[in-house]
Amino acid sequence: MSHDTLPRPTTAGKRPEQSGRRPDGRRRRHWTKRANPLAGLGSVVWLVIVLIPIYAMLSASLTSQDKALTGNPLRPPAHPTLDNYNTVLHSGFWHLLSNTVIVAVTVVAIVLVLCVPLAYVAVRTRTRWSGAAFRLFLLGVAIPAQAVVVPLYLLIAELDLYDSLLAVILPTAAFAMPVSVLVLTGSLRDISEDLYEAMALDGASPLRMLFQLTIPLTKGGISTVVIYSALQAWNGFLFPLIFTQSDEPRVLTLGLFNFVSQFGVNIPALLASVVLSGIPIFAVYLVARRALIGGLMGVGGK
Amino acid sequence: MSSTVTSGGFGGGKTVKVRAGRPNAVWALPAVLFFTFFAVVPMGLAFYLSFTKWDGLGDPKPVGFANWQKLLDDPRLTQSLGITLMLMAASWVFQTVISLLLGVWAAGHQRNRAILSAIFFVPFLLSSTAIALLFYALLDPNFGIIRENTLGSTSGAFLAIVFVGGWQFIPFHTLIYQGGARQIPQVLYQAAAIDGAGRYRQFFSITLPQLRHTITTSTVLMVVGSLTYFETVLILTKGGPGTDTAILPYLMYEAGFKSYDFGYASAIASFLVVAATGLSLILVRLTGFGGMRSTREGM
Amino acid sequence: MESNRGRSTGSTGTAFSRRWVLGAGASALLTTGLSACGSGEGSGGGGGETITAFVYGDDAVKVQAAAVERFNRSTASKTAKGKIKLEKIPGSDYTPKLRTAMGSPSAPDVFFNWGGGSIKAYQEAGKVLDLTDIIQKDPVLKSGFLPSVLAAGDLKGRHYGIPMRGMQPVILFYNKTVFAEQKLQPPTTWDQLLANNAKLKKAGITPFALGGSDLWPELMWLEYLTDRIGGPEVFRRIQDGDAEGWGDPAILKAAEMVKTLVDDGAFGSKFSSVSYVNGGAPAVFAKGKAAMHLMGSWEYSTQLGKFPDFAKSNLGWAAFPAIAGGTGDVRNVVGNPTNYWSINPRTQNKDAAIAFLMECASEAYAKDLVALGDVPTTSNAAALLSSAPNPEYAKFQYDMVQQAPAFTLSWDQALGDELGTKMHTEIGKLFAGKSSPSEFVSACKGLK
Repeated sequence: MSHDTLPRPTTAGKRPEQSGRRPDGRRRRHWTKRANPLAGLGSVVWLVIVLIPIYAMLSASLTSQDKALTGNPLRPPAHPTLDNYNTVLHSGFWHLLSNTVIVAVTVVAIVLVLCVPLAYVAVRTRTRWSGAAFRLFLLGVAIPAQAVVVPLYLLIAELDLYDSLLAVILPTAAFAMPVSVLVLTGSLRDISEDLYEAMALDGASPLRMLFQLTIPLTKGGISTVVIYSALQAWNGFLFPLIFTQSDEPRVLTLGLFNFVSQFGVNIPALLASVVLSGIPIFAVYLVARRALIGGLMGVGGK
Repeated sequence: MSSTVTSGGFGGGKTVKVRAGRPNAVWALPAVLFFTFFAVVPMGLAFYLSFTKWDGLGDPKPVGFANWQKLLDDPRLTQSLGITLMLMAASWVFQTVISLLLGVWAAGHQRNRAILSAIFFVPFLLSSTAIALLFYALLDPNFGIIRENTLGSTSGAFLAIVFVGGWQFIPFHTLIYQGGARQIPQVLYQAAAIDGAGRYRQFFSITLPQLRHTITTSTVLMVVGSLTYFETVLILTKGGPGTDTAILPYLMYEAGFKSYDFGYASAIASFLVVAATGLSLILVRLTGFGGMRSTREGM
Repeated sequence: MESNRGRSTGSTGTAFSRRWVLGAGASALLTTGLSACGSGEGSGGGGGETITAFVYGDDAVKVQAAAVERFNRSTASKTAKGKIKLEKIPGSDYTPKLRTAMGSPSAPDVFFNWGGGSIKAYQEAGKVLDLTDIIQKDPVLKSGFLPSVLAAGDLKGRHYGIPMRGMQPVILFYNKTVFAEQKLQPPTTWDQLLANNAKLKKAGITPFALGGSDLWPELMWLEYLTDRIGGPEVFRRIQDGDAEGWGDPAILKAAEMVKTLVDDGAFGSKFSSVSYVNGGAPAVFAKGKAAMHLMGSWEYSTQLGKFPDFAKSNLGWAAFPAIAGGTGDVRNVVGNPTNYWSINPRTQNKDAAIAFLMECASEAYAKDLVALGDVPTTSNAAALLSSAPNPEYAKFQYDMVQQAPAFTLSWDQALGDELGTKMHTEIGKLFAGKSSPSEFVSACKGLK
């Protein structure tokens, strides 16, 4: 996503290093675009740091269990095998995956349905109620989920939702709301008041304005919220840990945690499960890289 | 940015043009109710429970200030608070320095930078649990790739947590800084270059100040986020060796779900909420974060 | 035009107070609602047909799984109109999962436990059925089990559980091949143990495997050392509620001996990151990286499940050595007498639950346990031992428990969850070198 909004200066009459043009005539636009050997080296170092665990993970997951216990894990396996992946896939992996997808989709739906109208009100209606509502969510950013786990456990048990997917979905959605509200209000504020006035002159109702004007213009904010909530749901661990216990509503993160006891020092199988857990998001990443990254950059730009 | 007619902030003040076409505040109600029920009410309940003794089986029994007294007397709390703060600070330094440098570097439009950024991003795709498991396996002293007892020494365990947190979140913060760096008007650099400022001077006089808002955003996210390193601690160190990496959330988990002293756990939880809220409020006030009106300002 | 960045004034006060009232009101409503439906709720497990049984999910689970299957096909199940669903909870998670489940509406109908302190909280909350009369009235249950074992799980003289696993004394296992190579004998005195350790370290072998990160394997060391030094009365005093009992000199001496062992490298340098429940310590032991392993008798079936060759040909066993100058009888044993199955009084099918528990007294069940390498606690156990996969091991265990003047229950199970967790933390600190022996003792004295 390029925010290149300013015109490039002309180069007439300037010396090469001033004009940003290299002597051979190629355009040099921005000082960070020059080759920066020190930073380049730093990035290579970081690249290595990022890649080594990933490499070790992939390599070990393809090793057979007995060799892993004795051999050198950094060496690529002599006889790579897909046994470990098989083991994991037969340990209920698909069920874990489908549960997690259900949770993610439902959480995103709840967050969107609740937060878009809220942001709309917060930005468009300037009463003290809407102000109070906004401030509620602003403070809500600071509430750590762990702090309310015990009373939530009480609540969930009383609502008879214990050990169900809903027990995971509802609190996760609630805790994804503060940041989502912030992002949405931020992006909604960019919509010019004039546009609303124009539609008001046409006699449009607030509902029509919402669907015809606001939502189309907030695609960036909405995609950010979708990605943020989906990731919260996908990576959520504490709520599934405390609020579910049986196989039925178990999600991927909890499944991974249980694999530690199940596979233990069967490190290849354990790492195979980690790899498998990352594949769905990786697939989304490949397909929607721009949207994903753009959305996440938007999180920073509140 | 176009002109927006606003009054002096939220909730009253000067006259606001109330026109037809503004949504009724009632639209906000579902969100407020939902959030209140699942987040705010539990907070209140946590506070209430901190004045009771409850083991999860019977009914909570009111015990007045007993839990709070215990909290104040508990040496483990002070230790845990110290550990939490140190972890937050170490993580902030580690992640900010690297994300900032990488983000600014990645803002450049060279193709190799784009490819490398794509690779750098991969750690962020794994969940906290998956990453903690990955490093738990890699650091197993008997069967991992590092066969020293890293997690058995205090410094090793602490550094492992800082590193794992960084490994996971640096990609995210790099993106934030990348976005921020791309916003910096090139004119500034051009002008500085004309004045003869070198690369390093330009970095400190132009890049850093321009990234002020981005640093704020990133910091707030990091600080609130570092409180949630619960998974990492649970899987990697279980608060150990001994109790040397038992951050506050872990202490609370232990009190609640291992000792089943939910009253005391709630006292710790309430304390955690107050501390987190306080910290956020301070950060917000110090940096004018809450006053930011639109997306463009944060980048 | 940039919008005003100033903070708003005036509205803060009123908005806050309204919000507060709303929140307080909601909380008040909720709490009254909670106390109203606090007691007298529905029972565990929906629908009366199938009831749930929780079991500790380790290698021994197959015996219980077989029993469930037998029961579900039997006439007893049809008469009681109920089937059993076995829920296997991974070991590291068992106690918290049980606790959370028991506090929720989907509590299990039958649940695995260690008797004594481990079910004290449930008993006080009325969540475990008193089985004393049921056992008295039923001939199968009444004479089916060794009386001492049945009684070991009691609370205040009443039975709350039926034994459903083998007896689990803690035994000193050793690697026969390593011992043969190093020309060592299993130690019968502490001095011999230390001498053995010195030779092993010289050969680059860690003397003892230890799953330090789980904490309870470390506890076993403290239990035996204390018992050998001061006898079973030392812990019994603590178990009966006297926290000053931790001040007994035997405990301090035991802690000091632990420190010496750790500092000497008897457990190697990595033990605090090695776990038993995920197979780490058994693997270290089976692969010969460590020569000995102080562990409960289930170590045999664990090894049989994970490393069968090692279990069948190289696994040796011995009693914990005597300590010179100690008052404890060398025949004393620590560990778990057995595990029990208790019934949740709110179950929707008590008859099915009881009928299922009678399976545990059956010969088929005992035979399965024996085949696994465990020694059942049933009255007919002695006769069945000859068909064990390792009759020598079975007989060793049985005799050990039979002849023991005292069998001390694992300290963490005896003390219950709240104190047990805190004690674990202190023990972890002692072994990790974060507390000195005297600091350990004073910290434990504060466990109330």
